[in-house]
Amino acid sequence: MKMKAISVVLGMAMLAAAISGCSGSPSTTTAATTTAAATTKATAAATTAAAGESTAAAANKKIILITMDSTDQHWVNVDKGCQEEAAALGNITYKWMAPDKKDDAQQIERINNAIADGADAILIAANGPDAITGALEEAKAAGIVIVYVDSPANTEAVATFSTDNKAAGKTAGEQMLAALATAGVTKGSIGIVNINTATDSTNKREAGFREAFDGSAFTILETQYGEGDAVKSQDIADNFITDGVVGIFGCNEGATVGVGNAIKGAGGGIVGVGFDRSDAILSLIKDGSLVCTMVQNPSVMGSEGLKAAAAVLAGETLTETVVDTGVSIVNAANVDSLA
Amino acid sequence: MERNETREKHTIRNILAIRGVGQIATITIGLLVLCLVFAILNHSFYSGRNVGNLLRQIAPILIIGIGQAYVLITGNIDLSIGSVVGMSCMISATLMTKGWNPWLSVIATLIICIGTGIGNGLLVATCKLPPFIATLGTMTVARGVAQIVNNNYNTDAIGEGAEGFRSFFYYGKMLGIFNTVWIAVVLFLIFNFLLSKTRTGRHIYAVGSNIDAARLSGVNVSITTIKAYMVSGFCAGTVGLVTSATSGIGTMDSGNMYELYAVAAAVIGGVSTLGGQGLLLGTVIGAAIWGVLQNGLQFAGAPVAIRNIVIGIIVIFSVLLDVVLRTGRPRKSAKGAAHTEG
Amino acid sequence: MPVNKNDNLSGQVKSMQDYIVEMDHIEKSFPGVKALDDVSFRLRAGEVMALLGENGAGKSTLVKILSGVYTRDSGDMKIFGQEQKDLSPKLAQELGVAIIHQELNMCKHLTVAQNIFLGREQTHSRVLSNREMNKEARDILKKLNVDIDPTDVVGDLQVSKQQMVEIAKALSANARILIMDEPTSALSSKEIDDLFMVIKNLKAAGCGVVYISHRLEELQYIVDRVTIMRDGKFIKSMDFADTNMEDIISNMVGRTIKEQFPRVECPKGRKILEVKNLNAGKLVRDISFDLFEGEIIGFSGLMGAGRTEMTRAIFGIDPKTSGNIILDGKDISINQPSDSIRSGIVLVPEDRKRDGLCTKLPVRENIALPNLDILCDVFGTVNRKKEKIMTDKAIRELQIKLPNAEVNAAALSGGNQQKVVVGKWLARNSRVVIFDEPTRGIDVAAKVEIYNLMNQLKKDGIGVMFVSSEMTEIMGISDRIIVMCDGRITGTMSADEATQDLVMTYATRFENKITQKVTA
Repeated sequence: MKMKAISVVLGMAMLAAAISGCSGSPSTTTAATTTAAATTKATAAATTAAAGESTAAAANKKIILITMDSTDQHWVNVDKGCQEEAAALGNITYKWMAPDKKDDAQQIERINNAIADGADAILIAANGPDAITGALEEAKAAGIVIVYVDSPANTEAVATFSTDNKAAGKTAGEQMLAALATAGVTKGSIGIVNINTATDSTNKREAGFREAFDGSAFTILETQYGEGDAVKSQDIADNFITDGVVGIFGCNEGATVGVGNAIKGAGGGIVGVGFDRSDAILSLIKDGSLVCTMVQNPSVMGSEGLKAAAAVLAGETLTETVVDTGVSIVNAANVDSLA
Repeated sequence: MERNETREKHTIRNILAIRGVGQIATITIGLLVLCLVFAILNHSFYSGRNVGNLLRQIAPILIIGIGQAYVLITGNIDLSIGSVVGMSCMISATLMTKGWNPWLSVIATLIICIGTGIGNGLLVATCKLPPFIATLGTMTVARGVAQIVNNNYNTDAIGEGAEGFRSFFYYGKMLGIFNTVWIAVVLFLIFNFLLSKTRTGRHIYAVGSNIDAARLSGVNVSITTIKAYMVSGFCAGTVGLVTSATSGIGTMDSGNMYELYAVAAAVIGGVSTLGGQGLLLGTVIGAAIWGVLQNGLQFAGAPVAIRNIVIGIIVIFSVLLDVVLRTGRPRKSAKGAAHTEG
Repeated sequence: MPVNKNDNLSGQVKSMQDYIVEMDHIEKSFPGVKALDDVSFRLRAGEVMALLGENGAGKSTLVKILSGVYTRDSGDMKIFGQEQKDLSPKLAQELGVAIIHQELNMCKHLTVAQNIFLGREQTHSRVLSNREMNKEARDILKKLNVDIDPTDVVGDLQVSKQQMVEIAKALSANARILIMDEPTSALSSKEIDDLFMVIKNLKAAGCGVVYISHRLEELQYIVDRVTIMRDGKFIKSMDFADTNMEDIISNMVGRTIKEQFPRVECPKGRKILEVKNLNAGKLVRDISFDLFEGEIIGFSGLMGAGRTEMTRAIFGIDPKTSGNIILDGKDISINQPSDSIRSGIVLVPEDRKRDGLCTKLPVRENIALPNLDILCDVFGTVNRKKEKIMTDKAIRELQIKLPNAEVNAAALSGGNQQKVVVGKWLARNSRVVIFDEPTRGIDVAAKVEIYNLMNQLKKDGIGVMFVSSEMTEIMGISDRIIVMCDGRITGTMSADEATQDLVMTYATRFENKITQKVTA
């Protein structure tokens, strides 16, 4: 009998820790997991940057950010941008909600939770163009303002702040062609390490990249999918290298880390081009394993997105509704000047 | 009696009659056929470079397969393996980015992972929770720990001081073979010895075969269960270290789904999910089959859509083949499960 | 406080007069049940003490306390003169107490030698000494005169051989106190002889044996004293020579049982079943017989004669290679049990817990299970009212003792479980009921109830086939006896003609091939 009781208590404690582990933004997760009674209210209170700000119900607008997952540094940066903007504006209650991993069903759940939580506006990075449109329609019907950050869905929103992924992919492709030309390589095969077939943003990048190679003497091999996991992507890149490729393209941060490490492990000699930035990617550029990476501006997406949402909520109209937040090319030349 | 014994030992038929060996023979043939097919489809598959890479890709699957095999043989299951891999990757990487000596990080990480194994064992053996639920709980907690250890960020690069660490676990070679493979081989030898030649190993089979008979014969069932989970925790921890050495960073999502790959490797190799039987040598072949499939399908240029279907069909086929072949074979002088050397 | 058994015996045989087990005023309760109420028990060295009582009398609980599996609530227990406060199975094993369970407790995936040494593995600097253990195991098995290789996997052995392995295990652990719970129920008569020889040797060596069995006829060959229990209480303890069977039974049951084997005479009616030239594998060879209304046919024979295999072939569990089954004049084809059930031939199997009942389901569902076609409505939902009527009828007519129909089948005593197995068939108006070892592991009083049940079926014009290894039972209840040997029918006789010798003669009438003469 006693054992049963203990196991029930343990189970509930584990469950509570799991729930608080899933939800909430980074700065509050530590606090949340120490007490089983972590509530989303505490999360909201902690993330409101303005300390001591009284949440006067009428003036404060609630804006909720829903990204594709809660762990990729890219989303962390979007959240950072949002937090800064919310602090600057001062009358926003801001929250970050995201699933643990890219999953349509979970993202729909987050949208529904946001509606129930009384959001006034939702900033969302859609996993895919169609899966969540239903939930978004419901949100709009409830009067919630929708702004897309990073990836839009197929339903109208007041604004979209994203990287033109296709253009960025094309830029990456052009960078690779240039690097290959400099190295005197005129033909051969190219490998692409993508994430999965369902994520629209990375698929657009691949499409742009392939466009750059149209009509060139290089063949692009069958794309492999590494789920954005650095190790899986590295195994795939290793295999590409064994298969004799002259260049490999990584479509997001995890893939790029894997590609860089694989080239490093093989002793170089292959042109590696990637996407996104992280500490690891920057050091891989510094030591020459990667030629360059396309760095997005996630924090700009976040701050501008939140600004636009707040503006619409305040009754203003927007001048630009589709904004390309752009990419910058980071390579050996300028990597040291980055923070 | 002596004459009979020596005569029996040396016929192939009687070696095959040893319980479990038949299945290993079958899947080995399957493995060789697979390798042949992939080699034909793309010559790069059997290049020296790929063989080296392939072995290094198989090694982590084998290591977690060993851990899962131990737990399966006791009649339980460990669903937390994947999360412990992630937790281990994050803890070791975070400690190293904070300036810890890599080897101290390794020790601290492994202690925590073995501790998780002890936790699993206590929940199952002492609190009598069903293993599925207990390890499902630990799985979620471990994943949560992986996330909070670095404040819900993936870690920065683990830095120059960790070159030795990265070389030991992933990039380095000894006698032309990657260290990771050597680590897997050494762990296999140790754990196979433990399982087939020591009292603890015998008890592990007994508990899985008939837990009541074991208890009534004076076997300490709780300790045996905990030991099996400790092995699993240790193995998962080791693979987590390999992961952080591989990518040079800690990734919160690493190890996702690994517990199922571990089950696949063990079960293809002949470990029964009901407990009480299975040879670790089979897990080696099972892990190899899994690794060859993942690697070979890329070289074969298989489109991603059919990859998973192909993998699934081959996995089912390899287990089915053994069942079909075995029902026809007479059980005359089948020797013991734990009796053979691995 | 583990006692080194050598200290006590100091290499010499203890005298017959010393008690090696002394249990006094033992009390033990489980939730809702008082299993033992002020029970005493004594065992001397070098004697075989039969522990008798109906199912539920407390014998099992008492010996489990002696072997350390249960802890007594109160009372004293001395083993080899030493007071035992907290006995665990491991401690009891070290003291020299070994129990051989009725429900065989072996690890089926391990070998014979591995099972024998389970929990006491011999190691040489942490490594298992397999060679030494195999050798010792081989020696013990040889001493027991059994043909088992220590490297055989236990799960591949027949039940009777598994039991021998359990005995070997006890001997290997140098048991000085051997508790045997229904040791002969799965053995052939040759194996029983071997076992009794072993027990006699153990006696001579000074071991004490506690012998639990329902097969009262065997006691005379081996037992020195008897202890009788009833309803958790100690009734009587006496020398076997000073008592007789009637006396024992009446003490066990608390009343005299008039007839141990109630036989009823019935007029023989028409032919119900005709089995012609049935062949199914090695153990069912050219079997033919007729079954009439109003008679019970008993099938006798040694272990391995093929009687169970024949019932399984008729019922459709095992495939037939050839033969006809003709029920009420119509040739019916049976390929699986459902065919048989639909035609009206049903089986009460040998292993009731494994094959006859879903032990985790309530009694009501067990009774309903093969009758769902009758109990379900048009849409396939179970009609609860009809189910209740059927269940209540079965419980009433068979006098099944249980608190209510919702208890799990596993909770019932052996006899009542058997009644549930029969009960589920009776709801169907079956034509032929085949009983395979129906009274195994059931106490005397419940056995009589089963016999009465068979007689009732006979009277109702239902054909009864009765397979049993207890010769007295077959001779007592059947109207006709068919004897099988090694898969063939070797003799038939009427109840009047039957004698034990005649039956045994037919039962051992093997074909004249030298290789088969060795084992039964």
